[in-house]
Amino acid sequence: MEVSHSVKERTIAENSLVILLQGLRGHITTVDLRDESTAMGRITNVDAFMNVRLAEVTFTDRQGTVSRLDELFVTGRNIRYVHIPDEVDIRATIERQLEAIHRVRYFGGRDKGRKEFPRAKHK
Amino acid sequence: GGAMSFLKRFPPPAEGVRHQQPDTEAVLAGRTLGSGTLYIAESRLSWLENSGVGFSLDYPTISLHAVSRDLNAYPWEHLYVMVNAKFEEEETKEAPMAEGEEEEDSDDDVEPIAEFRFVPSDKSALEAMFSAMCECQALHPDPDDEDSDNDYEGEEYDVEAHELEQGDIPTFYTYEEGLSHLTAEGQATLERLEGMLAQSVSSQYNMAGVRTEDSIREFEDGMEVDVAPVVAGQFEDAEVDH
Repeated sequence: MEVSHSVKERTIAENSLVILLQGLRGHITTVDLRDESTAMGRITNVDAFMNVRLAEVTFTDRQGTVSRLDELFVTGRNIRYVHIPDEVDIRATIERQLEAIHRVRYFGGRDKGRKEFPRAKHK
Repeated sequence: GGAMSFLKRFPPPAEGVRHQQPDTEAVLAGRTLGSGTLYIAESRLSWLENSGVGFSLDYPTISLHAVSRDLNAYPWEHLYVMVNAKFEEEETKEAPMAEGEEEEDSDDDVEPIAEFRFVPSDKSALEAMFSAMCECQALHPDPDDEDSDNDYEGEEYDVEAHELEQGDIPTFYTYEEGLSHLTAEGQATLERLEGMLAQSVSSQYNMAGVRTEDSIREFEDGMEVDVAPVVAGQFEDAEVDH
């Protein structure tokens, strides 16, 4: 279970639904883009800014032309929708991701290891 | 066709170049711009033809990038880059529009799109080019992100170091030293623990010169434990993070 090396990214993920997408690593899914094109492929990475990296992609552009792309990186800003595959247990996925983050955060015991600031600052 | 007017002369980037790929053809919307060097730098993506003219793309304008090896879609393996901007190819948009027909440019909701292809003569470099672009793209998160809750104090926050003065962290405190380093939360915890301890030895206790109502009620018969008095206002300096 891979977790970001960045404190900031872990904090962002823990407090948003990006954490669900991060748990989809390895799954094949379809991403709808803002310009109406779609990309179907295997998720290899999702970062805290919802940038998504896919492999073995079937890309359908907005005109409907289909092509294959070995790897695709689409910025979070340009994603309209990520389809969650039917076989994914959403709750379990989120819990697993949270556990992974907490393992990193509390590595070495409660009062040792990395000290992190797990909450957003109040506005 | 006319010259590509967006091409300019500029020096190649010197800093933060994650990857550079010579002998790379640049193609815009199916038209070749020539052969040159692609510079994947942290600040922007640049391509310079061998003659010294070229263009740069800012990462926030790049919607996506990909490695294409599908020769049915395009006859050469390349790095595909989709940009959220318009680049002039030729000045030909003179045709009158039919009534009711919308041209992309005039519709504010449809964003402009330009498609670039970078075709390296060394196809095996495509992986490295792709990865370098992913890394650089991640350095430019969307500033217009509607979800402004991503406003975190991003640096690592070490609670202990923050509350102690610079210097060595002692492995234990004397009573007075320890009290002076307590936050309000720590103080409350200490009170609670001491309350539990007091309960088990049936004794009253003093804390910072204050005796709680509870302890008076419950431990009236107990022995009085004389704790070293603590100066009032002790905790005013403690850094409390609410």
